[in-house]
Amino acid sequence: MDYFFFIDLIQSTVDGLLFGTTYALIGIGFTLIFGVMRKLNLAYGAAALAGTYIGLVIYLMFDAHPALVFLASAIGSGAIGLIVYLCCFRFTPSDYPMASLLASVGMLLFIDEVVIHASHGLPYPYPSVFRDAIIEVGDVWVRGDLLFVFFMCVVAMAVLFWLLYRTPLGLATRAVSQQPRAAQLCGIDVTRVNMMTFGIAGILGGVAGAMTAAAVGVLSPVIAMGLTVKGLIVVVIGGLGSIPGAIIGGLLVGAAENIFLLLRGVTERDIYVMLLLFIFLTLRPGGLFGNAQTRD
Amino acid sequence: MDFYLGLLQIIGVHTLLGLSAYIVLLTGQVSMAQAGFYAIGAYVAAMCTAMFGFHILPAIIVAGLVTAAIACVVGFPALRVKGLMLVVATLAFGEMVRLFFFNLTWQVERGGGLIGPNGAEGFRAIRFFPENGWEIWHVTGFIWIVVAVVMGALWWIDNTRAGAVLRAVGHDETAAQSIGLNLTAVKVGAMTLGGLIAGMGGGIYAHTVTHIEHAVFGVLLATFAIAYPILGGLGSVFGTLIAVIFIQGFLVEGLRFIGDWRSLLFGALIVLAMNFRPTGLLGERMPRLFKRRGADKLELKEAE
Repeated sequence: MDYFFFIDLIQSTVDGLLFGTTYALIGIGFTLIFGVMRKLNLAYGAAALAGTYIGLVIYLMFDAHPALVFLASAIGSGAIGLIVYLCCFRFTPSDYPMASLLASVGMLLFIDEVVIHASHGLPYPYPSVFRDAIIEVGDVWVRGDLLFVFFMCVVAMAVLFWLLYRTPLGLATRAVSQQPRAAQLCGIDVTRVNMMTFGIAGILGGVAGAMTAAAVGVLSPVIAMGLTVKGLIVVVIGGLGSIPGAIIGGLLVGAAENIFLLLRGVTERDIYVMLLLFIFLTLRPGGLFGNAQTRD
Repeated sequence: MDFYLGLLQIIGVHTLLGLSAYIVLLTGQVSMAQAGFYAIGAYVAAMCTAMFGFHILPAIIVAGLVTAAIACVVGFPALRVKGLMLVVATLAFGEMVRLFFFNLTWQVERGGGLIGPNGAEGFRAIRFFPENGWEIWHVTGFIWIVVAVVMGALWWIDNTRAGAVLRAVGHDETAAQSIGLNLTAVKVGAMTLGGLIAGMGGGIYAHTVTHIEHAVFGVLLATFAIAYPILGGLGSVFGTLIAVIFIQGFLVEGLRFIGDWRSLLFGALIVLAMNFRPTGLLGERMPRLFKRRGADKLELKEAE
């Protein structure tokens, strides 16, 4: 093991950790929705992608500033999140989880196809900031755009924590996630909380999608499946329903992915990430921070 | 005429895929791994005939058994988690299988050329049917005999104690456990049986299309697999068959004139169906026609 290999390894880990924050955001989105509704929204990654495309449309049509593009992506994704809620979760029976699950899969396919149709399946350039800035720490380079991605994701998480722990809406959300029926008895409108959760999760997804596209530099429909699968893996590793778990899981998956990329190449990378997931499932089915699964 | 026979073949193999998900869904588990099992079956059966010169029937049986063994092994860790976590675990397994075949290159020399899976290019020239002079209606007949046998077996299982056990676990795990059912055994059993059926279906599929590649066995196929039984209803095996005929016959082939918009329609249809008829076309229970009269008067409402 020579010096340069060691530097490469650290470099990969740093890049992975920085990029892993986008996975963490997607994971938080899945976890939030699961925490409140006890249901999995598989259309979430696709909604995030569609929101990112809304930002792209604004960029292409008005040549807007990147900040505006990112904002539009986030809000667009939030709006699509609400649509997903209305189409897949609002009117399906709550005691038959398969219905909403399959409906969200249908929505995933639908959104995916709409995006592919609208963009003709071609990749488009997506604006980025600090592309050329590089910070050198010894022999390890920290890319400016990745640092920006990291920074934006941390800000999004901070805003989320403020929302959840310092506002009445957050109190209501946490109440519903602990005991839906008791929350309802206290006068909390569960449907409204559910809708808000989907909106907030959608906005987080939009930020994650925009940051993924900004880090890669191009936007193409294929990242939807990547976001969905990686987000789910993050949630399982971190523990369903746990936000700190999703953050740690996201960083872990980001770093692991980059290390496997370095060691085994791009075609085999995802196999090892899946294997990591399977190891976690076998040894720690509840995830890092999950509590023991109760009867659901 | 050949077109319709070809369509019947597609419906046949997709029915097997749907039935493999059906048996797992009966125990209340949503498995997205069926596309992975289908892929394993397809590659194993294709290897048996194209690389080692088996007859189609033993090849399919070998494919089914290999897939069943893998499903059983995967079932143990995967079924430690349940419900939503299982969806994720099986989704990841399916992707892992797909990526494995994406990276697999293993070719042998046969008949003056290299044959076998070749990485991203896929597995070409699985020519058992043309090489042995099978007409298209032979192939179609063969597929439907297999489908009929599998459907008959599942119908029979459904009407015996085993079916009741599966449904009991699917309906309420804790209650099922409290009457002495071994949850792990039941779930892994269902998963193994599902793997067997998916493996056989995949094996037949590989021979009807003669060329398989990893991209076919993605998340979309896994979605189709669970969509058939859920859309058709878990009441009986015929729900799956009806859903396959509707989706493959009407939605995919019948609406070919609207082009690419069909895949849009598929997603929208699932969303609509789940909103208006969440338990599927035939519902969650057996259709009344096949049931003793007044049987559901004894039913208890489950407390939430």
